[in-house]
Amino acid sequence: MILLASLFLLAQAPDPDALSERATGLARQNRPQEAEKLWLAALKIAPGHFAASLNLGFLYHSRGDYAEAEPMLARAVRSQPNDFNARYLYGAALQALGRSDDALRQWRQAISIRPDHAKLLQIMAVEYGKGRYFRESAAAAARALELQPDDSSLYLVAIKAHQDAADHPAALRIAEAMVKRFPSMARAQFEYGYELHRAARPDEALPHLKKAMELDPSYEEPFFFYGEIMVKEGRWEEAIPALRRTIAIRRDYIAAWVMLARALIGHGRLELAKTELLKAIEADPKHPQPHLLLSQLYFRLGEETLAAKEKDLSLKLRRENPEALESRQGRPFPAAVKP
Amino acid sequence: MRAFVPLLALLCQPAHAQGVASGNLPAAPKPKLSGRPFPATFTDVAASAGLTMKFVLGRAGTKKYIVEANGSGAAFLDYDADGLLDIFLVNGSRFEPFPKGQEPISRLYRNAGGGKFIDVTAQTGAGRSGWGNGVCAGDFDADGHTDLYVTYWGANSLYRNKAGAGFEDVAPRAGVTGPPAEWSTGCTFLDYDRDGLLDLAVSSYAGFDVKKVPLPGAQPWCLFKETPVFCGPRGLPHGRITLYRNVGKGAFEDVSSKTGIADATPCYGFTMIAADLNTDGWTDLYVACDSTPSLYFRNQKDGTFRELATEAGLAYSEHGAEQAGMGLAIGDYDNDGWLDATKTNFIRDYPNLYRNLGKGIFEDLVLRAGLAVNPQYVLWGTGLEDFDNDGWKDLFQVGGHVYPEIERKYPGEAYANPRLVYRNLGGGKFEDVSSLAGPGVAARHSSRGAAFGDFDNDGDIDVLIMNMDQPPSLLRNDLSSRNHWLKLQLLGSATGATVTVEAAGRKQSAALLSQSSFLSVNDPRLHFGLGQAEKADRITVRWPSGRVEEFGPFAADALVPLREGTGK
Repeated sequence: MILLASLFLLAQAPDPDALSERATGLARQNRPQEAEKLWLAALKIAPGHFAASLNLGFLYHSRGDYAEAEPMLARAVRSQPNDFNARYLYGAALQALGRSDDALRQWRQAISIRPDHAKLLQIMAVEYGKGRYFRESAAAAARALELQPDDSSLYLVAIKAHQDAADHPAALRIAEAMVKRFPSMARAQFEYGYELHRAARPDEALPHLKKAMELDPSYEEPFFFYGEIMVKEGRWEEAIPALRRTIAIRRDYIAAWVMLARALIGHGRLELAKTELLKAIEADPKHPQPHLLLSQLYFRLGEETLAAKEKDLSLKLRRENPEALESRQGRPFPAAVKP
Repeated sequence: MRAFVPLLALLCQPAHAQGVASGNLPAAPKPKLSGRPFPATFTDVAASAGLTMKFVLGRAGTKKYIVEANGSGAAFLDYDADGLLDIFLVNGSRFEPFPKGQEPISRLYRNAGGGKFIDVTAQTGAGRSGWGNGVCAGDFDADGHTDLYVTYWGANSLYRNKAGAGFEDVAPRAGVTGPPAEWSTGCTFLDYDRDGLLDLAVSSYAGFDVKKVPLPGAQPWCLFKETPVFCGPRGLPHGRITLYRNVGKGAFEDVSSKTGIADATPCYGFTMIAADLNTDGWTDLYVACDSTPSLYFRNQKDGTFRELATEAGLAYSEHGAEQAGMGLAIGDYDNDGWLDATKTNFIRDYPNLYRNLGKGIFEDLVLRAGLAVNPQYVLWGTGLEDFDNDGWKDLFQVGGHVYPEIERKYPGEAYANPRLVYRNLGGGKFEDVSSLAGPGVAARHSSRGAAFGDFDNDGDIDVLIMNMDQPPSLLRNDLSSRNHWLKLQLLGSATGATVTVEAAGRKQSAALLSQSSFLSVNDPRLHFGLGQAEKADRITVRWPSGRVEEFGPFAADALVPLREGTGK
């Protein structure tokens, strides 16, 4: 009925504003296909119609049709260059199309219209980081944090951005601020411990890592990092329980299995290291790294045939599963923004 | 009008396709300096010494093809046996033509003493134009004079030393030019079959045909940080390793297949080292490979080799990642008597410090050693040498980006970099003392090959460095220390020999190498710092023939010749 009325409206009075308003009503009633027809009709009459092009662009974007969304949003931006939403959404469509530099160009315009939009600043920080514009990323993240100092995820984005920008003193300061504001958050303790260690202050770092482990015994990352530090320092007896705990939390954490095996090898417990590597292979048969270390372990044990077999397996899996080598399996820094 | 509030879901970061292996690793924490003064000061004296050869490799400022980017080696050698180290510099070329007679050529400089070098290229016949890469040294005809092999993108040269009077290229006659279109890089002389004649191994980098290689940006492997750059090495056909057996009378035969060398997984090969890495008395072979696992060929003592880099822990990083291996150095950094290895790699990656656990089993301890603190540089030439004569081998690295274009987009990624010096603190630890090591270390160049030796015979190790688009650097080490030293000159068929010096209860080892660093040749006289010890109590030489001999004691601060068969 509404559609008939709309078509009647179209036939009687070809007013693009009215058509667009009507389409918006249909969209609110979750009738996107009918709304699309009306917006298209509005654009036929007035090709530069802002609301019709913006809302159509959003409709296509929300359907994942970014290639269709892009020209609509470009039209909206041309029509109203100072509209924040048009710039924001146009940037999103461009980003989805892999045109990051163009997206950032739109977002820079958007943020000049609304400089206090913390969410967009957070998005820009992440996107700048992906494009390796690390200084810009750090600046956007720092500004977002100023605007919303109670948002813990913004601290993480800012820490990551400053790490990427090689501004480690700033990353350390932000991590310290985070731990002060969120002292009972294990992630905050972990990030501060990590940054302190990076700043060559291991004596100060270790208590924060231990605190993180106490606060959340189900959070594997501090256990793994603590174990890794102990392995690097040759403190095998302290490394082994931390790495065992990591695996108890996450059985698929292959980097932790391999690190545990290295600790056991360092401790001279070669047979036990072999057992752990075989368990790692059972946990993730497609991961090449346990096979690689097992190859080296067999070689040490003088079992060259087995060493060669494991080497071949590791090479085969490396070819089949290259992503496994790229991931340290740690919990990522926030890369997406919740609406 | 009411616009919808857009909801964004950002994509995960895509993997950045590129043509070279880079770990994207951060710098490890840099500990505070020990506070001890570093007594070695390096000053660049190349210009006043007369080393003026400008190194040419493609156009400066932009590189369209990978063959214009990698660069070349340099050699310290005593071609005229006068006791003074001479210098050979490998030159490159470019695609744009040169005025007739002005093509760049490799150059030989005779050490005239007093810190001066004389260009003797023309009268010695050592000059040649072309796309030169690596150099290795050895006495292949056993006449007591050092010969050179020089690799090219194109036919290689074997320069026979005419008793110090000059060189003649005998590669075609000897059968070691390699295929005319091959891009050879690393090389090393070695006596793998213990017949007393030096054989020759050659690595090639990649199949490169300028008519077929895509232009910058044309493929995912022609991008770096999303910036169009030259393509490769990934995406190009792999190179190969060739082994030539010296059959005497100046002739070689290709034995790559029958020795098992050809069975190895192909790689983009660079620097080669020949030494007895597992201390079984037979010379092994180690090859730094770019963006592919490096190769370690264990001598099977029966005329064949077995490739065991993965098993032995020499193929990958500490975490099992492929790396862009460029340069190699061998030395006993922890003074346990075993030869350890270090390898240089690409930017955002760490070098390797492979500690030899004995019997040719290695463990990468770069992080524990404090050497993972400068991943901001692409590293090439490297040396494990005792620059302050304290009895512990220090580490020198030279670097320079491969993409001149990159610093225009990313100012933090400079094409020219300072050099790096790490002091060995003992206990398996190093500290970055670059800021204390003088103006020659602080100077920024895009450097490639480096050779280590005592050109002024003053008892310390100097450094010769190849710089892109510039003359070389000759870093004179002005050492203000009363530490003692000893130099050993091994006579006879000694290439690949391992020497262990015991002094004041400390034991340290080194090997006589035909090539190391990056495609370069070090001083053939092995240099040992002795600290406060005024004599070396005992010297053990493990000759490539399998003979093990003891010599000594010897007073410090002297050059001692050691001939096989004259020890105990």
